[in-house]
Amino acid sequence: MSQITYGSINDSVAESMLPPGRRWIIAFLFILSALSMGVFAFAVQLRHGLEWSGISHPINWGVYITNFVFWVGIGHAGTLISAVLYLVRAPFRNSIYRASEAMTVFAVMTAGLFPIIHLGRAWYAYWLFPYPNQRELWVNFKSPLIWDVFAVSTYMSVSIAFFILGLIPDLAAIRDESKGVKRFLYAIPSFGFKGTNHQWLHYMRGYLLFAAIATPLVFSVHSIVSWDFAMSGLPGWHSTIFAPYFVAGAIFSGCAMVLTIMIPLRKAFPGFSAIIKLKDLDGMAKMIIFTSLIVTYAYTVEFFIAYYSGAKFERALFWFRPFGEMKWYFWLMVFCNCLVPVSLWFKKVRSNIALLFIVSLLVNVGMWLERFNIVGTSLAHGFDPFAWGNYTFEWVEIWITIGSFGWFFMWFFIFVKIMPSIAIAEMKETLEPPLRNKNA
Amino acid sequence: MRKSFSGVWATFEYLDDICAAIQELRNKGYAKLTTHTPCPRHEIDDALGNPQSSIPYFTLAGGIVGFGLAVLVIIKMTLNWILPVSGKPVVSIPIMGPIAFELSVLIAIFFTIGGLFYLILRDTWRHTRPGSKKYKSYNRFMRDRFGLVVPCDLDQIEEVESIFKKYLAEEVIVEN
Repeated sequence: MSQITYGSINDSVAESMLPPGRRWIIAFLFILSALSMGVFAFAVQLRHGLEWSGISHPINWGVYITNFVFWVGIGHAGTLISAVLYLVRAPFRNSIYRASEAMTVFAVMTAGLFPIIHLGRAWYAYWLFPYPNQRELWVNFKSPLIWDVFAVSTYMSVSIAFFILGLIPDLAAIRDESKGVKRFLYAIPSFGFKGTNHQWLHYMRGYLLFAAIATPLVFSVHSIVSWDFAMSGLPGWHSTIFAPYFVAGAIFSGCAMVLTIMIPLRKAFPGFSAIIKLKDLDGMAKMIIFTSLIVTYAYTVEFFIAYYSGAKFERALFWFRPFGEMKWYFWLMVFCNCLVPVSLWFKKVRSNIALLFIVSLLVNVGMWLERFNIVGTSLAHGFDPFAWGNYTFEWVEIWITIGSFGWFFMWFFIFVKIMPSIAIAEMKETLEPPLRNKNA
Repeated sequence: MRKSFSGVWATFEYLDDICAAIQELRNKGYAKLTTHTPCPRHEIDDALGNPQSSIPYFTLAGGIVGFGLAVLVIIKMTLNWILPVSGKPVVSIPIMGPIAFELSVLIAIFFTIGGLFYLILRDTWRHTRPGSKKYKSYNRFMRDRFGLVVPCDLDQIEEVESIFKKYLAEEVIVEN
């Protein structure tokens, strides 16, 4: 393996930003076609209304809210890796955090679409915000849904600011590696950064504060998302375990998505293999093991509390989940989230890139199903037997879901070509600096 | 009007060389030094005497403003349109928690960004740097070279130059 130097990191990253090749273009067209189908399906839903989705009585929160929670969860890992792992100086963070942050921003951008899609009358989305109006009618601050609007908006703003702040020195490095128009274009967002001691001093202090502030934010956002459910009285939702359970689940799915993204990225750009090391992927795999255990524990505790509480509606729901007509979603979720990650206890699996990739995909599937289980099965089996029901997936919501992946990956594909997908300055920090007297 | 630059700047290949040069320059009374590094290095901070940033004050101010704003907005809007829910108090303190927290974080972040730009611009203004094309177009500071800029009078140039050469600077450029 070639020796990594300050200069070689610049070269590897600059190489990844060369004009796209044929494979990139074909993959991008594929992604755009998925997105186009999603947009078309959404247009159909706008024209005909929510009856074209599977949302119906009693499951009034269906695939769209499932997707919302899923994408917010994916968005968690980026800030976790950037902020929390920065504060604890985790060694596997540096090579993967930039792409994870980008993933966060794009995932939250995707998540933000789903409450609007779910509204049906999307053009009234602004009613969620407290804006001055003639009747002085304000939003209900006692509702967790309003807290969620504030939480997700803040999280998105902070994630974008954190992402851009982290990019400034690297854009300056790319600016200095470029010529002509490209140099001019990178000079604008690098804000004249030249790596002076004054710039680094305030920048690093500001970055540390960002990390310190973003850390509680990571935990607050998904806790608040969980309260959308937990503050209602519905069996399966009304539980105090929801906040930590959602946060652990979010980190679990986010780490899996980081692997889903980083493994192809490492393969696509040969220079990245020396930078994104196997031990970095191994670190993420260990995070998956840890969070999988928490999630499994949460699943178990939910069942135990349903039994121990003696609440008959709660017991009925937790019987319905594994044995009712929606049982397949539950058992598939258990397989993907509890059993598949057990394979990561073996080093042979963690050091096998192909297996790691498969595990990460299955965890993503499992975490989507977990959200569907929470949303769907709870609503399907409420208090009154006459109001019980099942869920039928319609083509409109399936295509909107596929389109959301198209939307997410479209931004990611653009990102890897126009922005440094490895944090140049932070990678340099991890190297031994050039010293004349190595024993000094 | 801002003073034009008079002084010497140099590039270094090795971190220990530039650190030694900084220490000697500081011992001789040169205080307004500007360094260039491809990434933050604590060795440079140590050599410069570990200066501190006042960014945290901006963050704290932002957090307080955000918290106050959230409380004010909630109280004003809640009282403007009374919406009783399940017999709960109209103005309830616990329900302010999530929004007060989120707005504190949001405004703290905005203040931090504002403070960051302000402090960098202020320090850049206070520490004059060369205006020559050679300095402006030097493009290895963000790659793999260290730089040191020393503003000084004409009679000090020779001394600064000799310090740079003593510590094996790659290039030494005099500007006045």
